[in-house]
Amino acid sequence: MAPYPGSDADYLKDKARRDLLTLLEGVRGKKNLVVSQDLAGPVGLFVKFSLLQEYGVDRVFLLENANVDSSQRNVVFLVHAEKTRQVRTVADQIKRLQRNENVEHEFSIFWTPRRTLVSNAILEDVGIMGDVSIAELPLYFMPLEQDVLSLELDESFSDLYLHKDPGCVYLAAKALMGIQQRHGYFPRIIGKGDNARRLADLLLRMRKELDAEESSGLTDLSARGLLPSADTESLIIIDREVDFGTALLTQLTYEGLIDETVGIKHNQADVDTSIVGPTPVPQAQESSKAPQQTSKQGQKRKIQLDASDQLFSQLRDANFAIVGDILNRVARRLESDYESRHTAKTTTELREFVNKLPTYQLEHQSLRVHTNLAEEIMRNTRSDIFRKILEVQQNNAAGADATYQHDSVEELIARDVPLKTILRLLCLESCMSGGLRPRDLENFKRQIVHAYGHQHLLTFSALEKMELLQPRSTATAMLLPTTGTQPGSKTNYGYLRKNLRLVVEEVSEKDPSDIAYVYSGFAPLSIRLVQCVLQKPYILSLIRGGSAAPSAPSPASTASPGWLGFEDVVKSARGATFSIVQKGDDKAIRARQTLSGNNATKTVYVFFLGGITFTEIAALRFIAAQEAPRRKIVICTTGLINGDRMMEAAIEKGNFTQPE
Amino acid sequence: MAPSNPLANWERLGDSFYRKVPIYDAIFDDNVELENYIVAGAPYGGALALHRDETKPHRFRDARTAKSSIDIYSCSGKLINRLNWEHGTIRGLGWSDKEELLVITEDGTVRRYFGLYGDFTSFSLGNGAEEYGVRACRFWTAGFVALLANNQLIAVSSYDEPRPKLLAPCPEGEVSSWSLIPPAFTLSRSVEVLLAVDKTVYLVDPTEAEDKVLQNGPFKHASVSPTGRFVALITAEGKVWVVSSDFQSKYSEYDPESRVTPRTVDWCGDDAVVIAWEDEVHLIGPNGVAARYYYDGTVHVIPEFDGVRLITHDTCEFLHKVTEVTEAIFRLGSTSPASVLLDSIDLLEKKSPKADENIQRIRSSLPDAVDTCVKAAGHEFDAYWQKRLLKAASFGKSVLDLYNSDDFVEMTEKLRVLKAVRDYQIGLPISYDQYMRLTPEKLIERLVNRHEYLLAIRVSEFLQIPADKIFVHWASQKVKVSTVDDEAVCKLIVQRLDGKPGISFELIAQAAFDEGRTYLATQLLNHEPRAGKQVPLLLNMEEDEIALDKAIESGDNDLVLYVLLRLKTKHPLASFYRMINTRPMASALVETTAREEDTKLLKDLYYQDDRPIDGSNVLLSEALNETDMPRTTEKLHLASRLLADSKDATVVLQQKLLSEASQLLKVQETLDKEIADRSEFVGLSLNETVYRLIRSGYGKRAQKMQSEFKMPEKTYWWLRLRALVAKRDWGELEEIGKNKKSPIGWEPFYNEILGAGNTKLASLFVPKCTNQPVEDKVEMWVKCGMIVKAGEEALRAKDFNTLELLRTRASGPAVTEIDRMINQLRPRK
Repeated sequence: MAPYPGSDADYLKDKARRDLLTLLEGVRGKKNLVVSQDLAGPVGLFVKFSLLQEYGVDRVFLLENANVDSSQRNVVFLVHAEKTRQVRTVADQIKRLQRNENVEHEFSIFWTPRRTLVSNAILEDVGIMGDVSIAELPLYFMPLEQDVLSLELDESFSDLYLHKDPGCVYLAAKALMGIQQRHGYFPRIIGKGDNARRLADLLLRMRKELDAEESSGLTDLSARGLLPSADTESLIIIDREVDFGTALLTQLTYEGLIDETVGIKHNQADVDTSIVGPTPVPQAQESSKAPQQTSKQGQKRKIQLDASDQLFSQLRDANFAIVGDILNRVARRLESDYESRHTAKTTTELREFVNKLPTYQLEHQSLRVHTNLAEEIMRNTRSDIFRKILEVQQNNAAGADATYQHDSVEELIARDVPLKTILRLLCLESCMSGGLRPRDLENFKRQIVHAYGHQHLLTFSALEKMELLQPRSTATAMLLPTTGTQPGSKTNYGYLRKNLRLVVEEVSEKDPSDIAYVYSGFAPLSIRLVQCVLQKPYILSLIRGGSAAPSAPSPASTASPGWLGFEDVVKSARGATFSIVQKGDDKAIRARQTLSGNNATKTVYVFFLGGITFTEIAALRFIAAQEAPRRKIVICTTGLINGDRMMEAAIEKGNFTQPE
Repeated sequence: MAPSNPLANWERLGDSFYRKVPIYDAIFDDNVELENYIVAGAPYGGALALHRDETKPHRFRDARTAKSSIDIYSCSGKLINRLNWEHGTIRGLGWSDKEELLVITEDGTVRRYFGLYGDFTSFSLGNGAEEYGVRACRFWTAGFVALLANNQLIAVSSYDEPRPKLLAPCPEGEVSSWSLIPPAFTLSRSVEVLLAVDKTVYLVDPTEAEDKVLQNGPFKHASVSPTGRFVALITAEGKVWVVSSDFQSKYSEYDPESRVTPRTVDWCGDDAVVIAWEDEVHLIGPNGVAARYYYDGTVHVIPEFDGVRLITHDTCEFLHKVTEVTEAIFRLGSTSPASVLLDSIDLLEKKSPKADENIQRIRSSLPDAVDTCVKAAGHEFDAYWQKRLLKAASFGKSVLDLYNSDDFVEMTEKLRVLKAVRDYQIGLPISYDQYMRLTPEKLIERLVNRHEYLLAIRVSEFLQIPADKIFVHWASQKVKVSTVDDEAVCKLIVQRLDGKPGISFELIAQAAFDEGRTYLATQLLNHEPRAGKQVPLLLNMEEDEIALDKAIESGDNDLVLYVLLRLKTKHPLASFYRMINTRPMASALVETTAREEDTKLLKDLYYQDDRPIDGSNVLLSEALNETDMPRTTEKLHLASRLLADSKDATVVLQQKLLSEASQLLKVQETLDKEIADRSEFVGLSLNETVYRLIRSGYGKRAQKMQSEFKMPEKTYWWLRLRALVAKRDWGELEEIGKNKKSPIGWEPFYNEILGAGNTKLASLFVPKCTNQPVEDKVEMWVKCGMIVKAGEEALRAKDFNTLELLRTRASGPAVTEIDRMINQLRPRK
């Protein structure tokens, strides 16, 4: 029983759109809009360009291109105020436009998600504070799907683990406060990892401050002194740091593989037109433009990948091994649907068919796109190199002695496989077995620097700082699989692999019984941790019996909250472990409970700090489906991540080439 | 007290009635000569600001009154505050809807007084205001427009962040009158100004001045109605016109039959115009009907959105249109159900049975009648009639089975509040509609501004509105005026505010700090629960380290960065480093920002911190950014020298690789010079260099580099293989194939060559792959298109099934060959 109707995703989408349009409306007349690169995509998630046009936006420029011109008097900037660099860029561009004396510009800046003190200071320094009107657009969570909310902070991973800049933790706390204000506060906050702890502390502090504030108006009584929520069960925060290993593996679900091969950003993938064919043009223009529509090499086409595509919803979370089957099945059904026109005898039957025709065509289109995409991915997965990479990964994940893989890695280096792929393998080994032997590490360092350039000395130092690639420190660390070193400083995969059954050999890809299907036999640790909270009996039966039979959801599962029963196991993962009960006015809680009834569906928010992979989303959805009537899982994150993006955060981009 | 006649002071104007409600009397002292003052009144029954009109002569009394001042009175004539004025000629005196007094002087300085007690901020209009001088100003609720002597218009549309903006340039000529349309009512969503110049009127907005092409000017007055829909003009002949604000249609014309131009023209609501001379007021309704009022002394008209306040020396009156509900009840001979209901009360009190009869008669429309009575009660100013109407409503709803009493209850609450603030000691003659528009929160703010804390708290408790702001204001005031020592004040305040939610101690502390009571400020700040809020003040108080700690505590990275920014400019570097050294979050943020902006700072930081690898990394990335070769190598050299003394294994390796980088660059430079003629090799990695050398046929040099840089044999073989395949140098590859052994095995040769499409050469390597199982080898042969060879392989392994399979794939002479082999395997037949 939510106090407001509608899901979080719809609510947030609607609010973001309304906020932006109101701001745009406030700027009179036609205007040019300048958006920073990292916002252009997210803005597209909730508002279409045509709608912006209705609100007077003439042209849209990217901040990074620095090409905004004087074609309109009004210039509106929509930029993240958290990033000093971008704020400076905005200031520079305003100065540049001001120098053009023919046009007297009116500048507006919409800072998102908030107006910062630093941005004020910078604008004042440059001396344009008085010339711009400033507003803020509180964009925090952006809904990617009904069950996925993301802050879409591209740099959150490097900020958190490389630069140790906790800015995104603060924004995450703000965003979660938004949810608490809507639903009441989370009755329980459970988490793992040091940054997760920091986030939880911030949430507690913000709630205290909010309680202290109580300066809200008359009308909004519910916001005064937050009550514990009746329709949320808990918030689970997982720090990416706890489980770097999972994210380093190659994702093996369909969506995951698309992400690995072409990359998905803000629900969109840029795919070469030679693979998926050109963008379909509306019917009316098709005839006239048809001759020019030859698909040129190198052209990119944006493909929308979200739940609006029915076929994709079926495919996205499936293991890639069965995607072909599904595609075949759908193709066959579609064909028979088409054939039904021959059997249509009466005019009403015919009309029915014609009515359905647009749906068929849409489905057909999406089928074509996905078949082509799947074939392209298949070409990649069948290659000799991909198989080698996968083999190294699987052996590492299964805990085989990693040194046997070194020859393969060296061969891959000599064959000039992209650097990030190599680094992923090394980091994976380092994470899974507590570091590389110093001699091996030196050896690899030398080889990689030789193969990819000496600038990557910086890359190594970054990886070390992120604790992704380290030398194995002491002799005790060699004995990792059996005993934990000092608990909590490093995730002990050896111990957890056994005690949480991370490796499930006999998982079926077609009809999966365990989340391990997403990596064809390896269950992501991060999600196992979530299961330790939500599906205790199942995990217990897994450990004891070893049979992967899904247990019937027993009502007792909710009886032991938090990490109860798994405290010792969880200790072997890195970082702080905590479970906090947010207490409130007892009377109010009871009143709420009576009002809402106890059997309602409860929502669990799972927050991945530092990023989540598509496979982990798939695994969480798998759990959500098992828990379906009693629980709803909403996945929140700072952004989507995969091994490549993790590596890109560390890889040095400069080189010694001399410009001519 | 005898009840006043509800119809008293009603005046019929066309179809509707207007009434003038006397609110206060005996307002001003005798020595205030109202005719000599400029009077500006704040909207929503707010305070009055009086400033002596310097164009008029006045009687000299004594030195005190001769001093120029702005006097702030409540509407009931209570002197709230007197601001001494010695800042030049005032050209604009007005109020915002937050009851902030705005004073604009001739030189374009704007003073904004908030809180009625003399606190102010000021800003300058700029845009040539100083040069030409401000001539006049017009205000709306959230901003104002200033008219300069050169006819330029400057608009300010927000007082919190004032940005004076020039409107479009206007035509030359004498401005005979002007007026503005607030942004809320214009199409452009920006303020627009009507400027009567010569015979016509111009509509000026930020982009253009549009001539409305009128002929009857010069207009001596122009005034825009509260909703911006109509404009009242006084023509050259002294007639009053009401036209639409787009000047397309004229609604009415009225001749006041006076040769003297009226002093003011204002709107009374949206339907009637009030023109006033010194002692005469005309109320002009639609179609030119009018009512006239005469006074003994000067009358000042203060427009509200729903009527006008008329201020004379003795009285304060509110002239407004009688609302429909009131009219329905009180109008003579009214037979509306509500009116009947009100009558029933009288009958009821007389215990007459007709009361019930009446009720039965209007039974069907009783709910409406009750609603009407409740509403009408709100619009009454007289408590007697308020009670009467509510009583009627109460009686009416007691007869009804089902009636939602919320409106009724709310109305009683509102009326109590209104009664309290209308009291002459408070002097806020706010009407019901105004109260609804102002909101209770703002009303409480106004009470606080008048230091009526007790009433404010009572009202907020009564209406269940958070009272934190009242307490904070009280405490700030306490800090300002109290003379006892800091400890005592702090104790008093903390004691009094204990347990009150939402108190912002930061604001109180700020007030203490502004008063120069630093110790008190620190004491108070300790009680602030929100760490972030304390930071700005702490910075001002020079408590830098505490500020930094509090910022970190708040977890807000922006706040931390802001503090760091301030500290960096303020402190010498050494002490700045000391400050951040012990605070990991701060140093992380400093490092991140410095990496983008200030690498020198970064180097110093790492040096101080003794982090050689980080320091050398900074130099390395600088080397990468250099565009000039000697400087690149110099930076690399520096980077490697930083690491020279260390014995740590990783550092040693790092240093070795750094010097190797310069060595590689040197070799590449030579290569560029000797064989490429241009920059081709510089910047490539070692592997790429070797690969390119082989591909371009410089095998010898490649080999030299291999030994020079100790490249592993395996890597070299792979590079050679890939380069030769790319070069399509089949001869060389065949030559290599004559070797006995390959460190990478022979399969890669087979695979790469096959991938390049040379099946013949690829097949040469099949026999060399001795480690491969038979099936794979068969497949390898097949891929080269050599079925027979594949067959031989299978034959050797005596694999009958494979042979069978091969036969299906064979063609031409190969078929017979395979058949022969099959037969060989079947010796029995």
